Amino acid sequence: MRRLLRSRPLWIALVVIGVASVLPVWLSAYVLGVLTAGYYFGVFSMAWDLLFGFAGEVNFGPTFLIGLGAYTAAILNSRFGLAIPLCVIAGVTVALIGGLLLALPALRLRGPYFGLVTLVAVLLLQNAVVIFAGVTGGEIGMTVPDVLSLSAATNYWYGLIFLVICAIILFGLSRSSMGLILQASGQDPIEAQALGFNVTKHKLMAFSISAVFSGMAGAMLVFYMGAASVGTLIDISIGVQIIIAAVLGGRRSILGAALGAVFLIAAGEVLRPLGQLNTFVVSALALAVILFFPDGLLGHTLRRREAK
Amino acid sequence: MRSILDLTSSRANGVRMSGAVLLAMVACLCACSRSQGNEPIKIGVIGEESSVAGASLTKAALLAAEDINANGGVNGRRVQVITYDNHSSAAEGVRAFQRAVSEDKVVAVVGSYLSEVALAIEPWSARTRVPFITPGASSNDIPKRVHDDYEHNKYTFQGTTMSEHIAQSICDFSHDVLVKQFRLRKAVVMSEDAAWTTPLDARYLECLPKAGLEVLDHIRFNPDTTDFTPIFNQIERQHPDVIITGISHVGVQPTVQWHDQQVPIPLAGQSSQATNGTFWKDTNGAAEGVITRNTGAPGVALTPKTIAFVNAYIQRYGLPPAYCGYTSYDMVHVIAEAIKRAGSTDPDKLVDALEKTDYVGTSGREQFYGRDEPFTHALKYGPGLVTGVHLQWQNGKQVAIWPADKANAKVEFPAFVKFPKQASTK
Amino acid sequence: MVGLQILIDGFAISALYALGAVGFTLIFGVSGVLNLAHGGIMVVAALIGWFTAGELGAGTYGGSLLGILAGLVCAYATYLLVVRPIQRSRAIPHEESEIFVLTGTLLWGIMIQTALAYKFTDNPVTMRPLFSGVVNIAGVRTPRNEIMIAVVCWLVIGLLWLLVNRTRAGKTLLAASMNPRGLTLLGFELSRVHLLVWSIYGLLAGLAGVLLASFLGVGPNNTGQLTASAFSIVVVGGMGSVSGSLLAAYLVGYLETMTAYLVAPTLRPIPALLLLVLVVYVRPQGLLGRR
Repeated sequence: MRRLLRSRPLWIALVVIGVASVLPVWLSAYVLGVLTAGYYFGVFSMAWDLLFGFAGEVNFGPTFLIGLGAYTAAILNSRFGLAIPLCVIAGVTVALIGGLLLALPALRLRGPYFGLVTLVAVLLLQNAVVIFAGVTGGEIGMTVPDVLSLSAATNYWYGLIFLVICAIILFGLSRSSMGLILQASGQDPIEAQALGFNVTKHKLMAFSISAVFSGMAGAMLVFYMGAASVGTLIDISIGVQIIIAAVLGGRRSILGAALGAVFLIAAGEVLRPLGQLNTFVVSALALAVILFFPDGLLGHTLRRREAK
Repeated sequence: MRSILDLTSSRANGVRMSGAVLLAMVACLCACSRSQGNEPIKIGVIGEESSVAGASLTKAALLAAEDINANGGVNGRRVQVITYDNHSSAAEGVRAFQRAVSEDKVVAVVGSYLSEVALAIEPWSARTRVPFITPGASSNDIPKRVHDDYEHNKYTFQGTTMSEHIAQSICDFSHDVLVKQFRLRKAVVMSEDAAWTTPLDARYLECLPKAGLEVLDHIRFNPDTTDFTPIFNQIERQHPDVIITGISHVGVQPTVQWHDQQVPIPLAGQSSQATNGTFWKDTNGAAEGVITRNTGAPGVALTPKTIAFVNAYIQRYGLPPAYCGYTSYDMVHVIAEAIKRAGSTDPDKLVDALEKTDYVGTSGREQFYGRDEPFTHALKYGPGLVTGVHLQWQNGKQVAIWPADKANAKVEFPAFVKFPKQASTK
Repeated sequence: MVGLQILIDGFAISALYALGAVGFTLIFGVSGVLNLAHGGIMVVAALIGWFTAGELGAGTYGGSLLGILAGLVCAYATYLLVVRPIQRSRAIPHEESEIFVLTGTLLWGIMIQTALAYKFTDNPVTMRPLFSGVVNIAGVRTPRNEIMIAVVCWLVIGLLWLLVNRTRAGKTLLAASMNPRGLTLLGFELSRVHLLVWSIYGLLAGLAGVLLASFLGVGPNNTGQLTASAFSIVVVGGMGSVSGSLLAAYLVGYLETMTAYLVAPTLRPIPALLLLVLVVYVRPQGLLGRR
């Protein structure tokens, strides 16, 4: 039984990855670009899902961590001309530190207050970026001189490989013993503590992992786009899109979050001819999903499976 | 087991769905590729649809394409304008540019009135070797980069008056009207903190004293500011005779607050929103007396083409064009002319032809500075070329007040504006 | 002179903040909803007010009333189309409904903002002041409109206090915020209570939007900022506490005004944010909030 369960989805996943890797042969550079952006978004959503699904903490400001990683990398590259790998590492480090600074007090709070703190963090970062516009380019944004690659296909593969590696790590974590402890801590912290697990330590770990992946993906995204701005990396609406993607794909499934993200980005592009209204339609669709299909694509089936 | 099948079929459904989306996109692409023949010449136009100025950019470009096609097109081929919205974001501007180039295969791009967006697109114009003209972004850095790295950046052109020249025009106006006519002596510079105002302010500080106005203070405020009371207060405490502005991102709010608080100091300089035809309504008439420089003014025939364009625009869209509407219209024509002269849409040939532009458009006679001049590919400024006018809002209308040969009204200020004793009122 | 200027300016802007924040906190206290579409409702009221006053010729008074009405309608829409369906949905587990409501209202707010920008462009608009001209208060030139706004805000807040503390309907609201289950046991219809509180909220937010339009000017781009501002004040004051919101509104309003006048206008939002951080770390339930 177990073996069957593990091999079927695995094969499907392998097929999907295989098909995805050869898409550059047929698709135009622009479409590849859309998918690449979708893959980075997928990492954002998976990192969020780990925190939410397994630590039970709703993070309203995933873009705080993403923004820290992205802007650190962007500023270091454009002001000091450091090489891309160094900038990404620096971005990850700053995101991690920021995440810990946020998590330490925030984890003491329960319920809506935790979400509040994360929202406040995003507001702070947004204001900081706008106020120090001399360094960060303010609201309209800044550009970086280095990009990962000029070839759309190369960028696409970078994005795909990054997504696959992150997916493997995050999914693996979620199914590991640590993941189970996290799940227990998230759904019933008192019992978990009673069983002797250090709930806070595990939640902190989940937060750190989320921060590392968010920061890394943020930094990579900057070097993919060649630009950074509040509207594409920090704005609350981006955070909402990340959450929607995870909800759409199915909360607590990690892989569903990646699917949801790619789907959302693709939908946004398909609706582009609507011009200004495309944000409206995507938001309306997302609202409809929340109202009518809160379990998302994969979540629905996973729940049914668990019920049996 | 039923549950496993459910799981796999749902997973498969997810895969099928994304597969279907992808297939649809591929199908679209295959259907979209046509055979060679009388293919239209595609020009991409990137604007900011939710802002009055940015929306005017795309509308004027569409009008220009129609005019060109009505007159036989370019060497028999139609011109097709494809529009994009960058939502006032540099990153989206870049995305739009990439899409225009790689997906829609445009031969040139006309884009944006925001300097931050144009500066972000400039390196991509260089990387993709596609000519890019900005009809509204006035930062000095745009042509400066062309000069500093000509081989890479030569594909970028600036189709609007540079910040430095805008400031010079305002200084010239100040000298003729504010100092000589009204005998004002002291000024405060008030600008938003943005890419285009950095060179603007630098030139203000340099040329205003030469024009006869002592600069008492230089205030740069956050473009997100909504409450200007403390700023006006700070200015008033220094008792200047005039406030010289450099604002574009804001306009309605500071003007309305200036009026409501009856700040006794006149506003002049560059206020891009005040150049919009809808400004009077947006401010409920608080715009009375506001002076701003603009590419053109209603009823002022800068060239024989100006009035016809304005009327056609109003007839089509119901409101007058914003400042970058004039230049966007002109730049589409400039590109079409260049293609005609070059006899091809090859980027390097197009750049050569563009450099030789000598076109009388709606805003004046348009030529670009050359490789050897400090601001390569910027629009040339000077008498007989593109000079702009200064206008003032009076009784719901924009009237031209400078230069003297274009003026159609006298300068008048609202009653709450007070002048120092040595100034005369006429 | 600067001191008096700060005092007067700060008073007016704080009064406006207070009006918005009070509505926001009322909704949280009674309905348990953090309405992130708050800014959207205010901007709808402002834009409809401007549009009807100018384009449709209703004049300043007519436009203002229509604007407030628009705010009310928008609040109802928010409750009936977004909040209530989520709260009543069986597919969403009870512990998670708060999160879904937050996300839902956020999405709704984005929808409002984009729809408004599409119809009206993102240019800010202003409403003609009801009283134009300036008054000289001990050497400080103050627009009459500013004084009127402060007066109206306090009148409305006073009316609200009367409503909550002296009328039956108001006391039901108070009770609902403390113990909804107890209230149903006593035979009250909770759904009517919710409708009442959303009505009050709609009127408050609508009025705040219209007043803001005549004082400073408002555009669709301000939506997020307005929500964030109300939200920050409510957190500092204590979620669910009306007096807390009032206190916090004045605290934040004066801090901002003092910074803008004495330090630099660019740094205006900083003290409020720092205060927010301080409160969240040291006393997360807010100054006057209950744990």
